[in-house]
Amino acid sequence: MFEPIKENWRVLLLVVVVLGATVALFAPQFAPETAPGGSAEDATQGVTNLQYGLDLAGGTRIRAPLVGYTATGVDFAGETPTQVASDVAAELEGVSTREVDAALDDEGTGTDGTGAVEVTDTSVSEEEFREAMDASGYEYEGIRSGVTQETREAAVEVIQGKINEAGLSGGSVQQVQSITGEYFILVEVPGQGRQDVIDLLEERGTVEIAIAYPDSNATNDTARSDGILVQGDFENIGTASRRESGSGAYVPVSVVNEASEGERSPAVRFQDAAVEYGVASASGGARCDYDMETNSLGESSDSCLLLVVDGEVVNAFGMDDGLARSMASGSWADSGNFRLTTTSFADAQTISINLRAGALPAELDISGQGTSSTISATQGENFRLYSAFAGVFAVFAVAGVVFLRYREPKVALPMIVTALAEVYALLGFAALVGYPLELAVIAGFIAVVGTGVDDLVIIADEVMSEGEVNSRTVFDSRFRRAFWVIGAAAATTIVAMSPLMVLSLGDLSGFAIFTILGVLIGVLITRPAYGDILRRLLTVR
Amino acid sequence: MTAIEVPEVDYTEYSNRQLVLVPLAVLALAVLVIGGWYVATGAPATLGLEFTGGVELRIADDESGDVEERIETAFDREPDSVRSIPADDVYVVTFRAADDDPGELASDLETQADAAGLSVEAIDQVSPSFASDTARTTIFGLALAFLGMSVLVFALFRTFVPSVAIVASAFSDLVIPVAAMNLLGIEMTLGIVAALLMIIGYSVDSDILLNNSVLRRTGEFYESVSRAMRTGVTMTVTSIAAMLVMAIVATIFGVGLLRDIGIILAIGLCADLMNTYLLNVALLRWYKFEGVKR
Repeated sequence: MFEPIKENWRVLLLVVVVLGATVALFAPQFAPETAPGGSAEDATQGVTNLQYGLDLAGGTRIRAPLVGYTATGVDFAGETPTQVASDVAAELEGVSTREVDAALDDEGTGTDGTGAVEVTDTSVSEEEFREAMDASGYEYEGIRSGVTQETREAAVEVIQGKINEAGLSGGSVQQVQSITGEYFILVEVPGQGRQDVIDLLEERGTVEIAIAYPDSNATNDTARSDGILVQGDFENIGTASRRESGSGAYVPVSVVNEASEGERSPAVRFQDAAVEYGVASASGGARCDYDMETNSLGESSDSCLLLVVDGEVVNAFGMDDGLARSMASGSWADSGNFRLTTTSFADAQTISINLRAGALPAELDISGQGTSSTISATQGENFRLYSAFAGVFAVFAVAGVVFLRYREPKVALPMIVTALAEVYALLGFAALVGYPLELAVIAGFIAVVGTGVDDLVIIADEVMSEGEVNSRTVFDSRFRRAFWVIGAAAATTIVAMSPLMVLSLGDLSGFAIFTILGVLIGVLITRPAYGDILRRLLTVR
Repeated sequence: MTAIEVPEVDYTEYSNRQLVLVPLAVLALAVLVIGGWYVATGAPATLGLEFTGGVELRIADDESGDVEERIETAFDREPDSVRSIPADDVYVVTFRAADDDPGELASDLETQADAAGLSVEAIDQVSPSFASDTARTTIFGLALAFLGMSVLVFALFRTFVPSVAIVASAFSDLVIPVAAMNLLGIEMTLGIVAALLMIIGYSVDSDILLNNSVLRRTGEFYESVSRAMRTGVTMTVTSIAAMLVMAIVATIFGVGLLRDIGIILAIGLCADLMNTYLLNVALLRWYKFEGVKR
């Protein structure tokens, strides 16, 4: 009973592959995972499990480098990275230590190793950084534009976090490298307009609290103490809420109230600063009157807490009496609960997202060296339909020529069926691995139909040449001869396409991947099966 | 009912010199066109947005009838080109990047389009520095693919002249479509690059078939050639038909990428028919009857 299976295993294998593809395409188990916050319908996009890329579903794609300069091979001369970073930052005018980062190349080799120093402040030029490095006295090998691997990885994570926090389902972030060795961050967000995505990414999202206090020696009689609380000092970040009374909104947060031995926790520091600058006292909280245009306190104003986002004051506020008394008595730091108040709900939302996702370690240069493309959802759906049309008509054209050439349904019909099975198997594969279909991938499918039929023509012609096929041996030897050409042709296609797979040339890697995959499926599965079918039909018994 | 047969060519009527003349003349012409283009414009082909940088907007036609005029007046810079795609009710407006900031430009243009009541369906923005990077990557990729193919061909046949014949005709298959693009006013886009890489993969199929038939199989030279030709021409014509139909459908619906790939592959495959059955056959015949003796 195994004889028929052994005889026709190639055809059976094709059937199994086609069935497998059907399962991958339609079975609900293989449906794409629902993104957090998205509904199941959003994720599946139609009756099949296929996912569509930006071209065919609409959305925004942005590719941009992170801005910064990195000095490589820096000899730390036994200093700690923190010390090195602050030494270099000291040589750069107006650059805070947070914009300079130093890291040893290989953690664990001790402090005498070499490392990298990077600056992520956009106002620093390569020349200025070089001078600062020279002035700081640390030996270094060279300076390149761009940031370190760690920073890029952190940036990818932060952007992913921002996209998720903003509730944009299905967004993806990855690093890509160009041929010149430059790294780009590639962000794809389905279903969103260009400006929304850029707004989300372009601001680094640093959030900090500063205090403005009256000082008759300073400009506008207003002095400012920065960095009272920074990003990392906040935890348990709540969602943006509207104020119960009056206008405005707030984000409930708590300030970290734990610290290592001998150090003040951020909550205690904040509490002390609030008392020191007169925001809080035993008699009550400060009444704030701050002009954000001129960055100055009003004449009779007390000190103000400033909410600073990306270096700009977005709100200034005083403190209510109850909170102020608990600060003055020193009991507030035990809980550390606090509200970051803003003038608008939208600001509160942005701050909440930024606090949860963290700040971008460096700025994305979208306008200078980046590229972006946006496709509206309707346009995407249209493209989906049109490219299906183009594909179907191309298959009809192939079928037409094949029928005209052979006028023999026995030869031509299996040819078209096998070629279609190949595309079907590829679609199944795309659904299985969740590879989003794009225009370029569709072009790859059409290319696969083209090469597929070419090879089937070679098989058919070879097998039918030199008269009747009267025995299995004759068939097999002719089939093997045909296969040499097919194998050679497949190899050249794979070689020609493989550069596209790895080079970062837009969406063309999808095209290359599916063309190569199609060729492989063709050579290994569908073409041998076609040979078996043809043998059954042609062998004279 | 008889099947359509590939016409037989009597090669004995022509000398090798005559056979080679036509493909070499076309190749020379193509090289001349590309060279001329390079001298005149500084690039071997008319470069598209991806290679020059700039901003491209797709603006929906809202059936009011005056969209084109509104596009003309909406922007404070002159668009470099405005293309209409009737099937999709869309206008494609292209702005070349100058020295200025294309990201800002894209945002400004979007605002200006909104202000003029135009609905923007898609925006593509490419910065000039990124574009020049893409151009370099492209040339590198094409060179790598071509080199890989050449090495593979030499490894497969292990004889000099037949391998050179394949590589030469593949080279010509690449150059002719690029020249044709310039003459037809098609811009070099990433889709075209994909098509050119496919030509490298596709076009050598028929050459390999021919060489295999002549070198590795028994039988008389002309018989081998006509056998390979019967199969090879069917293959290539099938592919040309598929690509032409795809190009036509994609043009009607305004799917640029598929149109570009279709047109360029169709031209490249036509060039391949000529190169395989004139250039390659002539070189093979010389090798078979004269070259081997030496």
